[in-house]
Order: sequence, then structure tokens, then C-alpha cells
Amino acid sequence: MNLTVLVGDLKIGAHDDTLVTHALGSCLGLVVFDPVIGVGGLLHAMLPLSSINPQKAEANPAMFVDTGVPVLFRTLYDNGAQKSRLIVKAAGCGNPMGGDQVFKIGERNYTVLKKLLWKNNILMAAEDVGGSQSRTLHFHIGQGQIVLRSNGEKRLL
Amino acid sequence: MIRATEPSPRSRHPERAGQISAHLNCFPAMSGAALRVLALVNEPGVTAQQIEGVLRQDPGLTANLLRLANSAYFGIPTQVGSVRQAVMLLGLKRLTQMVVTVCAGSLMDRPVPGYDLPAGELWRHSLAVSVAAEGLVGELHLEGGEEIFTAALLHDIGKIILGQFLQDEIEPIRFALTRGLSFTAAESDVLGTTHAEIGADVLAKWALPKAMIRAVRWHHAPEEAGRPEPMLDVVHVANMLCLMIGIGVGLDGLHHEPSPVVTRRLGVTTAHLETVASHTLQWVGELSQMLDPGAPTGDRNRKAFNGSEHPHRR
Repeated sequence: MNLTVLVGDLKIGAHDDTLVTHALGSCLGLVVFDPVIGVGGLLHAMLPLSSINPQKAEANPAMFVDTGVPVLFRTLYDNGAQKSRLIVKAAGCGNPMGGDQVFKIGERNYTVLKKLLWKNNILMAAEDVGGSQSRTLHFHIGQGQIVLRSNGEKRLL
Repeated sequence: MIRATEPSPRSRHPERAGQISAHLNCFPAMSGAALRVLALVNEPGVTAQQIEGVLRQDPGLTANLLRLANSAYFGIPTQVGSVRQAVMLLGLKRLTQMVVTVCAGSLMDRPVPGYDLPAGELWRHSLAVSVAAEGLVGELHLEGGEEIFTAALLHDIGKIILGQFLQDEIEPIRFALTRGLSFTAAESDVLGTTHAEIGADVLAKWALPKAMIRAVRWHHAPEEAGRPEPMLDVVHVANMLCLMIGIGVGLDGLHHEPSPVVTRRLGVTTAHLETVASHTLQWVGELSQMLDPGAPTGDRNRKAFNGSEHPHRR
């Protein structure tokens, strides 16, 4: 089944499922999966830190990297995934052109993700982040395959 | 047609410019009642009764207006049942904003192929930029939120016309982007004009206020407008923010450059942007549902509304 993950959303699937998310601009698209049991999840987080709007974070932790990432991992553990087998891949975190630091929300999303993973001793297997492109992500859980599309090109993550 | 102060790049592509102008001339006008209301609200001493009289001729527009007036976004505590009541409770500026919102919705919910925007996505983007713009007005304590909302709503209307031409030039546009050009520079290079320029021409045709036309024309190049204008600056920033959070992002991706001059003169910070972004999605959902004929009534929506999140009460 094709499951669409919206902005500020996360979904878990298994085996034949495909998790899809569109228009990753400065948002983070994080794929985490356990290939042994064929269970995986996809998070599409919009902003780095929940402290900007704690009320929203409470209602929807997937909107923020610092609250969405732990929920994604916890949900996978609840579904039988084991930390030692997890494969973690990231996409998105783009930025507009030019050097204006005020608009580097993508960079901030990526930094918060790296900090969280580092604190929890988790290594990233692959990443396709930054730049000024918008990305669409298809994660075929059964094959453990992630396909990225951007600016008319297709590549594997 | 209002011309840019600099020589238009359209002159480099005279044949295409003619075709695009022809499309512009057949571009649908707003309903007669809508245009008369927009003209009326600028007249001194206009009354709610006069406006109600004009709107009576367009029951569809009136029904949609009342539906919108009852949405939680506008935050009226009682159910609005008539145009007269809506004018009393919301004021003429809000009414203008709502008339444009209702009319633009029917034009902008179609797919825009050249820009790679599926059905509804340009409209969702337009609503998002409007909500984000009004959010920024609140965060930055600026004036004129209603007019800025309307300018933001229409900023990309030129894409509807230019999309048909862009569709045949996707490869040159992509190539220009890989060369490091901004998306509007690529449009200008390949088509001889930009969606911002064409959009401004549409607004001029509809006789909308000059400041609004200028905000649309320069929304990707605010520094070229000549003088600083908060309406333009806010639309520029709100548009960038909504593309970043993936609402209505198409072929252009993030191939746009925010102006550091605008950032500085508005005093906008990352915290402002993130606060506004965190509120935007909910309101886009709420407003687009309100304008959908199959949507539930205002009363039912009101129950789901969390008062402390209201953009005008923050």
C-alpha cells in the first residue's frame, strides 16, 4: 500500500508498503528501518525545535525535529525493531539561494538531527541534504529502497 | 498595462510576448459584482446596505462570502447570517479581502502544468502565503494586514498564464537552474518575462490598488522596486517561507534568493519565521475547507478551533 506522509507527519509501514512524501524543501525527511523484520518509518518534520511552539509540539510532535525523531524511533521499537539493526537515512534540509542566515531553517533542521543521533550513538547510513532543490521521496520498505526525485532527476538514497 | 520602470526583457522575445499578451487579454475577469464591491469600498461614505445591494446580484459569491466570514480564521464569536452583519462585524477591509479570496479560489485551484503544480496546489500555496504574510504582520507589529493578505493571495496568479508557455520549455528552464540561475531569472531568460510581471498585469487589468500591483510585480526582486514598501517586503518573505516548508513548491524548488536588505529593514529573524511557519498549516487547512462547497458549516468548524492559537489574538 502507498502511504503518504504530509508535512509535519510520520507514518510506519511494513513489507509491501511504500511510504511517500512530497516537496521536501527545508523540511527533514527521515527514513528509519529494520531490514530483518521489514518494518520502517518516515518522518517529514518542518522545523528544528519544539520550543518555538510547545502547544503545537504537544498536539503534533512530528512537526519538529527534536520531538518527531524520538517518536519515530519509539514507534519502531514498539513494532519490534531493534536499535542495533536500524538503518537511518536523511533527505531534504534544503535552503534558498544566497547567504541570508535568517532563512537557513533547512540547515538548522539538519544540525538538530545530527545532534540527536550523535547523543544516541546512531550512525547515518546515507544522506541527500542541502542545496536549493525540492525533493520527493519514495521508500519501498520491502526492498529497503529509497528513491529520490528532484528537478526531473531520479536517484537512489 | 503597467510597465516596469526598466526595459522589459519581453522585448527580447517579441513573438512570444505577443502570444502571452493575447492570453492575458482573454484571462477571466472577476465577477461583475466582485469588481463593483472592490470599487465601492474605496468610495468615502459607502454603507453596508449599498454593498449588500450589489452582492445580492451574485448569490454564489454571497454564499461563499458568508461561509468564509464564519471561518475560525476571522474569529467572529457569533454566527454571521447576512452581508450587512459581516460588514458591521468585520469591516470593509476584511470584506474586500474575502471577496478577492472567494473569486481567486475559483481561478487558482486548477492544475498548473508548466510549474509542476497539481490541482489545488497553487491555491493552497496562495492561501499559505496570505496566512504567513498576515502572521508576519502580527509578529512584526506592522499595519495593513488585510491588504497584505490580498496581495499575498494573488502574488502567483501570473503562473496560470505563463504555465502554458513554460510547459514547452521545461528542459531549457531546468538547464538554466543547473547553471545556478534563480527561477525568475530562468523564466526571464527562456520566456522573456516572469510570472511576477504577468501577475502584475492581471492585477492592473482588474484595477486593483497600485501598491498591490507593485507587491506582485516585485515579489521576487523587492530591491528593484525602487522604494521600500512593507506590503512587498512581507509578501517576499512569506512566499519564501511557504516554499521552504513545501507548500506549493513545484519546478522552482528553492531556486529563489531571499533579499538580505528586506530581512534587515523588516527586522525579521529566524524565530519570527519559525513561529509563523508553525501556525500556517492549520489555517491553510481551515480556510481551504471553508471555500470548498462540500465543506462542513462554520459552526461545526468552530468547535474544533482552539482560541489561543488565533493569529489575530497572539
